[in-house]
Amino acid sequence: MKPKVSSSNNLFYPLKWTMATIGVMMPVISALAETVGSDTPTDFWLWQFFGRLHPMVVHFPISLLIFAGFLELFTLKDFNSKFRPAIQLLVLVGSISTLLSALFGWLHASSEGISGETFDLHQLIGFITSGLAVVLLYFSRKTSQQSLPSTQMIYRMLLFTSGLGIGIAGHLGASLTHGEDFLTEIIPSWDEETEAPESVTINLASFASDLSVEKEIQLVTNVRSVLAHNCYKCHSGAKIEGELRLDEKEYVFAGGENGQIIVPGKPGESELIRRISLSKNHKEVMPAKGKLLKAEEIQLLTLWIEKGAPWPEGVAQQSVYRVAALAPRKPELPPIQPGLEHPIDRLVNKYFQENQLSFGSPVDDRTFLRRIYLDIIGLLPTPKELASFQADRNPQKREIEIQKLLDRTDDYAQHWMTFWNDNLRNDYTGTGYITGGRFAISDWLYTAIRDNKPYNQFIKELLNPSEKSKGFIEGIRWRGTINASQRTELQAAQNVGQVILGLNLKCASCHDSFINDWKLEQAYAFANIFADSTLEVNRCEIPTGKMAKTKILWEELGDIDSLATKAEKLRQLADQLVQPANGRMYRTLVNKVWRQLMGRGIVEPVDEMDNLPWSQDLIDWMAVDFVENGYDIKRLIFQITSSKIYQSPSVSVSSADKLMAEDFKFQGMVRRRITAEQFSDAVSEISAPLFDSVEVKFRPYQLIPEAKSNLGFARASLVANNEFLKSLGRPNREIVSVSRDSQANLLQALELSNGEKLNNSLVKGGEKWASAFGDPKVLAEQLFAKALLRKPNPRELEVARKVLGAKPKAAAVQDLLWVVIMLPEFQLIY
Amino acid sequence: MKTLQNRREFLKKTSAATLATLGMGAPLAGLLSSCETKIPATADSVILLFMAGGMAHTETFDPKKHTAFRKGMEAKEVLSTFPAIPTKLDGIQFSEGLENIASVLDKGTLIRSYQAADLGHILHTRHQYHFHTCYEPPQSVVVPHLGSWIAKEKGALNSVIPPFINIGQRFTVGEAEELKAFHSAGFLGSNYGPFLIPDPSAGLEAVRPPVGMDYKRFESRNKLYNDLIAAGPVGEFGSEYQKESLKQSMEQAYILLNSPEAKAFDLSLEPKESYAKYNTGRFGLGCLLAKRLIDQGARYITVTSEYEPFFGWDTHDNGHTRLKDMKKLIDSPIAQLIKDLDQSGKLERTLVIVASEFSRDMLMEGRPDLKVQDQVEVPDIINDLKNYGMHRHFTDGCSILMFGGGIKRGHVFGKTADERPCKTIENPIKIASIHQTVYHALGIPSDKNYEIEKRPFYTTPDGHGKVEYGLLAKS
Repeated sequence: MKPKVSSSNNLFYPLKWTMATIGVMMPVISALAETVGSDTPTDFWLWQFFGRLHPMVVHFPISLLIFAGFLELFTLKDFNSKFRPAIQLLVLVGSISTLLSALFGWLHASSEGISGETFDLHQLIGFITSGLAVVLLYFSRKTSQQSLPSTQMIYRMLLFTSGLGIGIAGHLGASLTHGEDFLTEIIPSWDEETEAPESVTINLASFASDLSVEKEIQLVTNVRSVLAHNCYKCHSGAKIEGELRLDEKEYVFAGGENGQIIVPGKPGESELIRRISLSKNHKEVMPAKGKLLKAEEIQLLTLWIEKGAPWPEGVAQQSVYRVAALAPRKPELPPIQPGLEHPIDRLVNKYFQENQLSFGSPVDDRTFLRRIYLDIIGLLPTPKELASFQADRNPQKREIEIQKLLDRTDDYAQHWMTFWNDNLRNDYTGTGYITGGRFAISDWLYTAIRDNKPYNQFIKELLNPSEKSKGFIEGIRWRGTINASQRTELQAAQNVGQVILGLNLKCASCHDSFINDWKLEQAYAFANIFADSTLEVNRCEIPTGKMAKTKILWEELGDIDSLATKAEKLRQLADQLVQPANGRMYRTLVNKVWRQLMGRGIVEPVDEMDNLPWSQDLIDWMAVDFVENGYDIKRLIFQITSSKIYQSPSVSVSSADKLMAEDFKFQGMVRRRITAEQFSDAVSEISAPLFDSVEVKFRPYQLIPEAKSNLGFARASLVANNEFLKSLGRPNREIVSVSRDSQANLLQALELSNGEKLNNSLVKGGEKWASAFGDPKVLAEQLFAKALLRKPNPRELEVARKVLGAKPKAAAVQDLLWVVIMLPEFQLIY
Repeated sequence: MKTLQNRREFLKKTSAATLATLGMGAPLAGLLSSCETKIPATADSVILLFMAGGMAHTETFDPKKHTAFRKGMEAKEVLSTFPAIPTKLDGIQFSEGLENIASVLDKGTLIRSYQAADLGHILHTRHQYHFHTCYEPPQSVVVPHLGSWIAKEKGALNSVIPPFINIGQRFTVGEAEELKAFHSAGFLGSNYGPFLIPDPSAGLEAVRPPVGMDYKRFESRNKLYNDLIAAGPVGEFGSEYQKESLKQSMEQAYILLNSPEAKAFDLSLEPKESYAKYNTGRFGLGCLLAKRLIDQGARYITVTSEYEPFFGWDTHDNGHTRLKDMKKLIDSPIAQLIKDLDQSGKLERTLVIVASEFSRDMLMEGRPDLKVQDQVEVPDIINDLKNYGMHRHFTDGCSILMFGGGIKRGHVFGKTADERPCKTIENPIKIASIHQTVYHALGIPSDKNYEIEKRPFYTTPDGHGKVEYGLLAKS
């Protein structure tokens, strides 16, 4: 806009030039457009080729013109400074390359089909700048012919504007290629997930001197661990990209399609080191997907190559993944300390001492009672139950109360039914039933929980089932062909692995796993136990021609007769898996129950039992103690809930990730959201029944007459899954589910805010409460007592009275009911 | 493709050579190769109009020789039971009854070569699972729906409109559990699950205060909630993610239910004339709701003709007669949706897809090379009108329509044979390619994956399936 001040006679020149340029360019562009603009992107390779030169060519104008502008600043006082010829040359080459860049850029965009907002702006500014560059060139020449101040001024304006334009276009272009957050993502405050990286647990210094064979083995094992966790996904037996495998010695040294990746003794010449050291956005960086290697890991690999990449024989047998021991182990209990007599507390105390933590003082009766009610029978205590518990002066009253709840067999069973239904993929409705491809185990399961069937027997009956319990290993059978890795025998192997043994066989069902040591053949050998006739091993859906062996995952547990009938194989499997020698199975169980009661497992996730526990002693001791005392789950629940640590103040965690992190520090029970079922039951009790009797799909009293409940509503664990329960986290039990998504989200909040089911209950509840209580103060106090087990404080009472008015109306009560059950206090176990 | 590969290879080498000769050195070569372009999105939103139950291609968008009904006719004579009609595209015909959609075909691409999966046995819900998730059931993890992937990767377009809306399917009908199995966000987390509107005319109910509560009371209830939280034992529960997420979600829900955008769900606000054009029943009103939601910034919507065994497109008998009704149900609203979106300019950035889990044929169950067990008895000689129609399930040639969002205008892709079996004979395209093309249009890279139970899980199995550039306008 500025040039307008200059003398009028020069003003037309730039215009004329621009027009002329566009005029010249137009036919070229339109000719090109006809060629490249048609349907297929690759009509003429040369255009595409030029297009791809764009990212390279653009660097010329960027540097040349901006540098020209920079030099120009030194000539402000004296136009004919000694820099002048240099500037003129820079401007000449810069302008021409601007034009070329724009042309190539345009080719690039049309041949590769690029569009978008950022792109449009990039293109617009690019074109304008290239137009400017032509005019700039003209004026640059003109200034050398005549030294009119006005010409010089226009020329300078043009130069600076072009420089600016190129800068902006360049930045936008870079945003297109590298991403808009390319710059900002590395600024610390922009990235919330900057957690301190866990370092490699290896002391690099210890490898400084000459290495013994033992040291070499140690070194290469660490190297393999790094490779396994970072590279196997694409470079192992399962998936071989770039013809490179890193899972065995010969392959590592053979290299990939581009030749060797390791030059022993010369990390600087090793392709492996070069690729893992590149920056995140480099095209050749490895791993190409996912997180880069940590500095320590790179150092480790570098050191290993420096040392000549030693790889002694016999290393292959050593696992690169952490493998938890199979055998049971009973650690010595730490000595009793005053107030810490309970075995769990003694073990936890040891952990606390090692980690400079300490016990908090026990929670009050109210908090304790609310916890055990919700945890053991899934219901809230009534105000009456609370009052009598508080009044009780017996010092043993907490233990007595726990036992009382465990003895409410049907309330207990109906609560724990939810947990086992999730774990065993048992539901009353769901896929597969319509075609007879699925069997419920509800009757068996309910009875087993109610009778507190010893866990070894429980597992035996699941694995070597009767008609009533066969649903778990039978899996879900769809009509038609299914993936080999999802045939019912493999489903059984996977589910038994995940739920009962805490291990993941899903990968190994298709190919040798790259997340643990399980091999395809082992998974098939295990699945074969569940098969009527011998399975043929399929690798990634392709039959290998090999027939599967028949084996339990651990030879220590014994053999399975491969020639026996399926029934006999299952009997052998059941007998052998439940042996006390299978410490893993019992650790898995105590860990799960611990998680249910404490909010976080000793090992997490609970189906990956090879992960590091925060206290090995605790989980080991509890598992052995469980076995030594009759495989008694109720006893286990009693043991945990009667400990001082269970009765300590709850702990809050700031994010779900922190809760699951490997370096999690245990400090006590973690605050949890109540489940869909606990919430529903509480609402049914306080307001009005949420579910119609037609929704009830499992009726325990039909099975066991005395199981008839005294509750005036259908418990949520017995109804068919529905949108309300689903939004609150009850899974579709198509697959086994060992943990629930308990975090609130929008769809759930919508269901809670205006969902029909909840609203219907609240409408009725509002009427019920309004007709029962004429006095707003009494109503509020009763409601708080029932829902929150406490009196409202004066401010809360004030808020409640304001909404209720002098004479509470049903609608107002309904709103208050809703508000109370939406309080975090109501929805958390704290 | 082979030659293209070679050409790329050649180009790579020549460009490297060129650079070397120019003496530019390694750094620039590195620069050149590192400049990989992000996928530019050509669409912001997707509407999938799903013809649940198996829509016969020969009776709709890919008509073959018409044989009128007469007693004693041979079943094998019949390829189409309707005459063909012209469309806006020269030489391209539709089946009678789809005149309105025919008139907007110039605005989109007709795919005539979709090959549905061979799953060994026809079960609608299993094929629908496959269509919507790209994975064959069963799977060892819960697999996300196409809409959930899009919701997760792209987020809400307008923060108060749920990013994945599912219109028209009730879950109280037959095979309900099988339907629920794929209407799920799976491992992506329930927040990306479908927002269900089984009945579009009651759509407002999903986003307004509960029944019996006016907005004023709804507002004061929300105030009461905040007041009571503030009055309660402050800080007793510390800063806790469960508590915070609950409070935030409740706030978000309140904002949505109280927002002006929620009015988009209220079909009674639509001008009468426009309403009438869409109102052919629940499906038509679903299209109208979809249009209104797109106007307000919805991300992904499915409108289904609804699957219920033996209803809708699931014609096990009376195919000819029933298809007349089905066409009436869809013809006007689909065409109107395209016109309205085109007129408002929204079509430019909205990808509309019309598809079905598979096609039908009179005789063939499954596909020619892999026939599966027949489910419907078809007499050799037809004496009764009820036997006149496409009653078996056919997977080897299905039609899909795509409009807008970067899809070519006035284009036909693929071809089926004119004689039985009317199977795909040109440009076969499978579900993974369809998914990848949709993701590509939205700017979601084809190798997008999450680590689930420590292994990568892709949008399509192992990330397979190529983007079909032949469908895209700018590619």
